[in-house]
Amino acid sequence: MKRILSLLILSAFPASLMAAKVEMPEWEEASAAAAYELGGGLWPTGIVSGNETDQASPTSPVADSADAPSPEQALQFYGPGGVTGDEPIRAEITEGEVPEGSPDGVPELIVEAPAIEALPPIEGDLKDLYFAHAPVDFLVDPQRLLTEQKSNDIKRFLEFHSDESDFHIYVLVIGETQTIPEEIDLRELHREWFEDSSTVMMLYYREVPAQTQFVYNDKVRSALPKSVFDRIEQNTLREGGATDLAPDQVEKMAIELSIQLYWLSRLMEHESKEDQERIAATPIHELAASEDAPELLREYAPGIFIEQSGLKLVSFLFTTLIVVGVILGMAGIGWLVMWWRAQDRFAGSPLIFPSYQVIPRLGGEYSGGGFVSMSFDIREGSNFVD
Amino acid sequence: MKCPSCQRPVDHEAESCYSCGYSEMEASVRYGTNRVMLNRVHDAAACLRKQERDELATAIDYLEINFPQILFSAYLGNLPDDLSMSELGFWLLNHGQVKGAEYVRPNENAILLILDMSTRQVGISLGYFTESLITEEEAYRALLHGRPHLLNAEYGEALEKIFLRLARVLRRKGRKLRKISHEELQAQSRALNENSLDLMPHLAVRAEAKVEEPETVSQSA
Repeated sequence: MKRILSLLILSAFPASLMAAKVEMPEWEEASAAAAYELGGGLWPTGIVSGNETDQASPTSPVADSADAPSPEQALQFYGPGGVTGDEPIRAEITEGEVPEGSPDGVPELIVEAPAIEALPPIEGDLKDLYFAHAPVDFLVDPQRLLTEQKSNDIKRFLEFHSDESDFHIYVLVIGETQTIPEEIDLRELHREWFEDSSTVMMLYYREVPAQTQFVYNDKVRSALPKSVFDRIEQNTLREGGATDLAPDQVEKMAIELSIQLYWLSRLMEHESKEDQERIAATPIHELAASEDAPELLREYAPGIFIEQSGLKLVSFLFTTLIVVGVILGMAGIGWLVMWWRAQDRFAGSPLIFPSYQVIPRLGGEYSGGGFVSMSFDIREGSNFVD
Repeated sequence: MKCPSCQRPVDHEAESCYSCGYSEMEASVRYGTNRVMLNRVHDAAACLRKQERDELATAIDYLEINFPQILFSAYLGNLPDDLSMSELGFWLLNHGQVKGAEYVRPNENAILLILDMSTRQVGISLGYFTESLITEEEAYRALLHGRPHLLNAEYGEALEKIFLRLARVLRRKGRKLRKISHEELQAQSRALNENSLDLMPHLAVRAEAKVEEPETVSQSA
């Protein structure tokens, strides 16, 4: 028992000596340099010049330390681009939380990173929402990746387009990190859903318009050369790349695709020989289109422009004739009105005046001398006389 | 309203002209107290051809159908130098009787065109009633309407044009009068008479003095 007590006392003595000392924060260069980077570890490596040297130095004690984080972990970028790792991004430092090891206990920088959940893979129910049935709406966005107002706008536009055009446009929106399941074949689905109608299915990856896929009917594909479709896709993707936000991208791409499909339908009509006569008889339809649309048409169907120029001349002459006719008609009507007013007529029903009570003047029984006169003498010296 | 003799303004109730003392009595003394018979188109100057007379008579027939109360008449003559057209018109309307005009067309409803071939002037004399319907400006415009024909010596056509233009004025006025009630009509008539006093200031003073004079005489008596 005594031996045990003596051993306890001996072991507790240095601990009491250590407890008696005032605890002060100690700067350990090796661990501190790795744990707290300038900017809280949110800045890219190239911006923080001091860290670069420390990390690059082979003689640094950090590199030798087994507990210190690796350079990739210490300088991991958690900006808008997202994290490449599997773990979802969480708020690293929240307000009121004092970072451990701060010299004066006051946080120098409080940054709250957006809490973005990683998109789930397209499988199960989500997959069914996309691919189980033919879409009812022209915009398929079950994950609500677009804003509600913009989605409604795009839907209305696509509905309007489908009413006015031979082609229908269906837009499927998925996340930028999501992929279509391997068992899904978009061409096969398109064939199954839209075999009877000319339809373009646009698969859009959020904020990555370059990955957008377009699926056409086989009949449409075979009717025109591939370069036409490449051009359409280029123009559509260019419009999508003009903005950064996903809703705007989808809207711009849908509008551009609508315009391009109008010209595509004109091209297909031109290619169809039996329809050529009908095109010649069709009056000119001037519709709004992007600047590239006529260029596209000029490149692949210059004949249309020749026909249009002839029709424009006829239209101009016809319009001129109508305008001149209307002007002459109005002038004729005006002349008729003036002629009618200038005519002295006897027509009209008898007019009875109400009786007046008149007061005699100058002693006259029937007249008071009301008189107006005028001269019609054109000899020299004669004048009008009132 | 102007005096037919001196062309000065007179009051609508004046018994004689304040400037020259002219009245119907004086006209009767000068030109006679008798009544004269007139044709509807009295061509004393014999300047109308038969065709013109017939056409003018036809036009007046139509006008009388359209305006059963209005008397349309014309006098063409070579007036002496001492007789002005306005005095003649005043005297004829008060002493003349147009043939064929029944009691429904009294002289106070008359429109008398006077054509003086000696001075080459044309004038319109109006009765009390037609004076309230046709303003001086409208009458003058009607004369202007017939002036081209007068210059071409187409007197019959000129008179017809003047009558037709006056008929248009009458029709317009008649439509307006039809829309207002009898009381409004009387009020309008009174206002017309009251507003027709356009005497010069010194004449207005004399007119007021004349009106007050009988009262003072009666008071002194």
